[in-house]
Amino acid sequence: MSDLNQTLSLFARAIVSGEAVSTEIIAAYPNYSCDTAIEVYRNNYRGNLHDALACAYPVIVQLVGDDFFRFLAKKYIEYNQSSSTNMHDYGAVMANFLADFEPVRQLPYLPDMARLEWACHVAYYADDRVPLSLESLAQIPAARYADLVLQTAGQVIRSSFPVAAIWQAHQSAMSEDFHLDLSDGPGIFLVSRRDCFVEVSELSVSDADWLQRIQSGQSLGAATMETIERYPDFDLQAALLNLLACAALTSFSLETTT
Amino acid sequence: MNLPANDLLPCSAGIGLRAPHYREVLDTLPALGWVEVHNENFFGGGAPLRTLLKVREHYPVSLHGVGMGLASTAPLNEQHLSALQRLCDAVQPVAISEHLCWNSADGFVVNDLLPFPYTMEALSHVARRIDRVQEKLGRQLLVENLSSYLSFAQSEMTEGEFLAELVRRTGCGILFDVENLYVNVCNLGVDARAFIDVIPHEAVKEYHLAGYSVCDGCLVDTHNHPVYPEVWALYEYVLQHIGPRPTLIEWDSDIPALPVLLAEAAKAQLRMDGCHE
Repeated sequence: MSDLNQTLSLFARAIVSGEAVSTEIIAAYPNYSCDTAIEVYRNNYRGNLHDALACAYPVIVQLVGDDFFRFLAKKYIEYNQSSSTNMHDYGAVMANFLADFEPVRQLPYLPDMARLEWACHVAYYADDRVPLSLESLAQIPAARYADLVLQTAGQVIRSSFPVAAIWQAHQSAMSEDFHLDLSDGPGIFLVSRRDCFVEVSELSVSDADWLQRIQSGQSLGAATMETIERYPDFDLQAALLNLLACAALTSFSLETTT
Repeated sequence: MNLPANDLLPCSAGIGLRAPHYREVLDTLPALGWVEVHNENFFGGGAPLRTLLKVREHYPVSLHGVGMGLASTAPLNEQHLSALQRLCDAVQPVAISEHLCWNSADGFVVNDLLPFPYTMEALSHVARRIDRVQEKLGRQLLVENLSSYLSFAQSEMTEGEFLAELVRRTGCGILFDVENLYVNVCNLGVDARAFIDVIPHEAVKEYHLAGYSVCDGCLVDTHNHPVYPEVWALYEYVLQHIGPRPTLIEWDSDIPALPVLLAEAAKAQLRMDGCHE
């Protein structure tokens, strides 16, 4: 290990893992101790990651309050080191963390809300993609429809709770007199970005089944057949129009038939 | 390396443009020489990039990086660099800058601007990485001096000497953060005059100004306060010795109303106007 790498590694361990730093490495200062200096870096590290989490999970911040979120973020940071130099990547496993986080047991919908918010965060920062248009699909000969392999944007979220309604209620444009019954029941939601706007829309169980088959790489023919087998009422044309309107389909290729 | 000169920044005062002010700046188009934004907030597409491109229609934009980690010992993140290149192609910035710091080593990522020992080994390492960035972007990178809360016993030179040597080896420019230097003077006993004397003045292409806070005797570069009188005084000294350069007011937490920021920029402009090289 090079000298530089060794020094940086010791410094990183002091910040991230709380290890002591050798004073042979670090010089002394007129107005404060070396421990103070390291503590400033530890605070910066935690503060920056806290801010990244608060930016990715604004609804959860509102649901649990700033103080509790600070506690929650502190615990999350303790167990989840940063692994990307882009701070917008931090916080991806919040849903799993919350599912095991004892202090939020009474808020059983929180992990699903985290899943929904992370999908929104990812959609917000995603690269621009030109959504698929009806016109370009129309150019495919009907005989080849079954071989279409569609690329998608957007993520399907399944929840036992009405998390999309809770999410909507916490967007700033919404009115404040909002009442919600958690027993409103389960929902399936699509998070997508149309132009610049991240949208959360409800999906029917059959449309969601079909979209997830498409996302797993099945051809249009195979996905449609299997969805119809499970949901005989599935309407392919309506599903396509709905998903095109949400900009959830981005491009296609034709599976070569062998 | 023969790189396009980085003299596109107007020699006037600008502000660090942050999300709370996007709407107001676009609606009111205040008189401002230029604006600077943090690269990483615009690495995707969508609303952030769209907004920045609108801003670009009215103001020269400088791209300021906080995540490249020029001194990191982890390999240079080519994905990050490609994202920056795409952003440059879209925005056509008047300047591109990064900090003289690290954020990733030995499997650790610390999302902060961290100091390192100024050794010959570090010098070759950082120079190679600047070469790579400039080669990829096809233009000059400005490298910013860092505010630090500690220094390393192994350092073989000062930060100013290190920067001067980087300029000589790579042709990079210097973004001189006057507040960072002030923080280092107070925290680490750095000699401000020696720093100013040792860096090549013609390589200095931009100044930064901001406010700090104090934590247990340590000045912390929090960018949450107006510029302090001591920093204005140092800025005036810098103007006399190096000359006027495009000057940016940075404010990143407890962000005030836009007029407060504009008033700070006007104070910088006044000092630039009063300075005769």
